[in-house]
Amino acid sequence: MLISTLMFGLVLGGTYALVALGLSMQYGISRIMNLAHGEFMIAAAFCAYVLFDFAGLSPLVTLLIAPLIGFGLSWLIYTVMMHPLVKRAANRGQLEADSILATFGLLFILQGIMLVVFGSDFTSYSYLNIPIDIFGVTIAVSRVVAFGLSLFLGLVLYVLITRSRWGATLRAVALSPASAPLVGIQVDKVARQAFAIGGALAASGGVLVSMFVTFSATGGVVFTMKALIVVIMGGVGNLLGALIAGLALGVIETFVTSYFDPGLSLASTYLLFIIVLLWRPQGLFGSVRS
Amino acid sequence: MMLDIRNLSIRYGAHLALDNATLNTRKGETLAILGANGAGKSSLLKAIAGIVPAAPGSSVKLDGEELLGLQPHEIVERGVIAVPEGRGVFGAMSVEENLLLGANPKRARQGELTRKSEVYDLFPRLAERRAQLVQTMSGGEQQMVAMGRALMSRPDLLLLDEPSLGLAPIVIGQMFKTLKRIKDAGLSILMVEQNVSASLKLADRGYLVEAGRIVGTGTASELKSNDAVQRAFLGGPAAPALS
Ligand SMILES: Nc1ncnc2c1ncn2[C@@H]1O[C@H](COP(=O)(O)OP(=O)(O)OP(=O)(O)O)[C@@H](O)[C@H]1O
Ligand SMILES: [Mg+2]
Repeated sequence: MLISTLMFGLVLGGTYALVALGLSMQYGISRIMNLAHGEFMIAAAFCAYVLFDFAGLSPLVTLLIAPLIGFGLSWLIYTVMMHPLVKRAANRGQLEADSILATFGLLFILQGIMLVVFGSDFTSYSYLNIPIDIFGVTIAVSRVVAFGLSLFLGLVLYVLITRSRWGATLRAVALSPASAPLVGIQVDKVARQAFAIGGALAASGGVLVSMFVTFSATGGVVFTMKALIVVIMGGVGNLLGALIAGLALGVIETFVTSYFDPGLSLASTYLLFIIVLLWRPQGLFGSVRS
Repeated sequence: MMLDIRNLSIRYGAHLALDNATLNTRKGETLAILGANGAGKSSLLKAIAGIVPAAPGSSVKLDGEELLGLQPHEIVERGVIAVPEGRGVFGAMSVEENLLLGANPKRARQGELTRKSEVYDLFPRLAERRAQLVQTMSGGEQQMVAMGRALMSRPDLLLLDEPSLGLAPIVIGQMFKTLKRIKDAGLSILMVEQNVSASLKLADRGYLVEAGRIVGTGTASELKSNDAVQRAFLGGPAAPALS
C-alpha cells in the first residue's frame, strides 16, 4: 500500500513538475503570470483524446505534435497579446498585474471554446492500460511511460538551461534583464522563446496526464494553481526545485487521497502552499533570484 | 578615424543631458572623458551603446557607419562593448558563466577559447575563482569580471564608465596596469573617469565635459597641466572653455 501510493504519487507528480516548469519559464523569464496555463494543458489532453479515439493515433505521437502547436500558439499569443503589455509596462509589477488580467481573460476564452466543442463531462481514453508488476505493485504501463517521459523532458530542459550558452542567456534575462543587452542578448526575443517553450511544456504535460487521468474542459484552473504552488515551493526560477516540488506534491496528494479522503487532496495542497508561503516564501530549495 | 560623434544631444524629458557633443577617436586610441557629477558622461556612453536614444540631428558613426538607431545587441555585434556604471555583471552566476555570456554575440564565437585563456591570463584572480558566484566577490574582482566579460565579445572599442569607482587605491593601480595591457593589445578605449591623474596617464587624448557641453579637448599631457581641468576637479569656479 505504502509503495503503491508512493509510485502513483510520483507518476502524478511528474506531470505536475512538467507543467510547473512551463509556468516557471513563462513567469521567471518572460515575466508573465499566465493564468491560462492549465487551459493549454487541457487543450492538449483533448487533442490526445480526439486523435486517439477518432484517428487511432497513439498519444506518444501526439506528444510530438501537441507541444509544437503549444509552442506556436504561445508564440503568437506573446506577439499579439503580451508584447504590447511588455512594451507599455513601466516596471515589473505593472507587467505582472497586466498579464494576470489579460491571461485571466484568455483562460475563459480557451475554456469557453473547449466547453462548446467537448461539453463539460469528464473525458478519458484507455491507452496502454496493461497492468505490470513493479516492486510488487501492479501499475498500468501508461503511467510508467508517462512518468518516464515527464522526468526525461524535465531533466532535458534542466540540463539545457543550466549547461548551455542558450540556457545561460535565458537565465541572464531572468536574473538581470537590464544587464542582458550588454552582452548582446535580445531580451524581447528570449522572453518570447521562453513563453513559447512554457506553452510547449504545458501541452506535453497535458498529453501525458491524459494517458491516465480523467479530465474536463473546466479542469485547467486546478492545474494552473498546482503549477503555481509547485513553482513557489521549488523557489521561483529554481527549475530543479520545481521538479522536486512537483514530484512531492503528487506524492502528498496521493497519500491524502488514499489514507484520508479524496475530497481533502486539494485542501491539503493549499494547506501545504500556505505553510510554505508563511514559513519559507523563498521556496523549499531557495530562489535563484536573491 | 574610428568613432566619429557629431552633434550628439541627449534629452531626458525637458532636461538636456548632453548638448551637441562632437568628438572622435582614432583606431587604437585611448580617450578619457572627464567631468563633474551630472555632466552627462554616462549618458554619452549609453547613447553610443544604444541604451538611451539620442535627439534628432545626432550622429555616431563607427568606421563610417551610423550606430544611432541600432539596437544594443546590434551595436555589440559591430564590436562596441560597454562596461556600465555599476558594472552590470550577472551576480547570481559564476565567473565562468559570465564569460560564457560575454561570448554570446556571434562575432565572439571565433577564437572563443583562446580569448578566454587570454582573459584569464589578464586577470589571474578570475582563473582562481572560476566557479565562484560573482555576487559574492569583492568590488575589484567584480570589476575584473565586467571587463573580462566585455573582452570576451571580441570588441574593437571598449566603453568604460568609471571603472575605478569604489575601489581601493592599490586595486585601482592594478586595474590601470591591466588596462594598459589591453590598450597595448590594440583595442580602442573610451573611458569615463573621475580619477583624473590615473586616467590621463593611460589616455592619449581627452575631453572635458561640463553641464552637458564639451568645453575642452587636448592630448593627455595638455589636459594634465590645464587650469580648467585642475579647477573642475578641485571644485573651483566654472572653468572657461578651452580653445
Ligand atoms: N534616466 C534619466 N532620466 C532623467 N534624467 C537623467 C537620466 N539619466 C541621467 N539623467 C540626468 O542627466 C544628467 C547627466 O547624467 P549622467 O549620468 O550622464 O551624468 P554623469 O556625468 O555620468 O554623472 P556621474 O559622474 O555622477 O556619473 C544628470 O543631471 C542626470 O540627473
Ligand atoms: Mg556617470
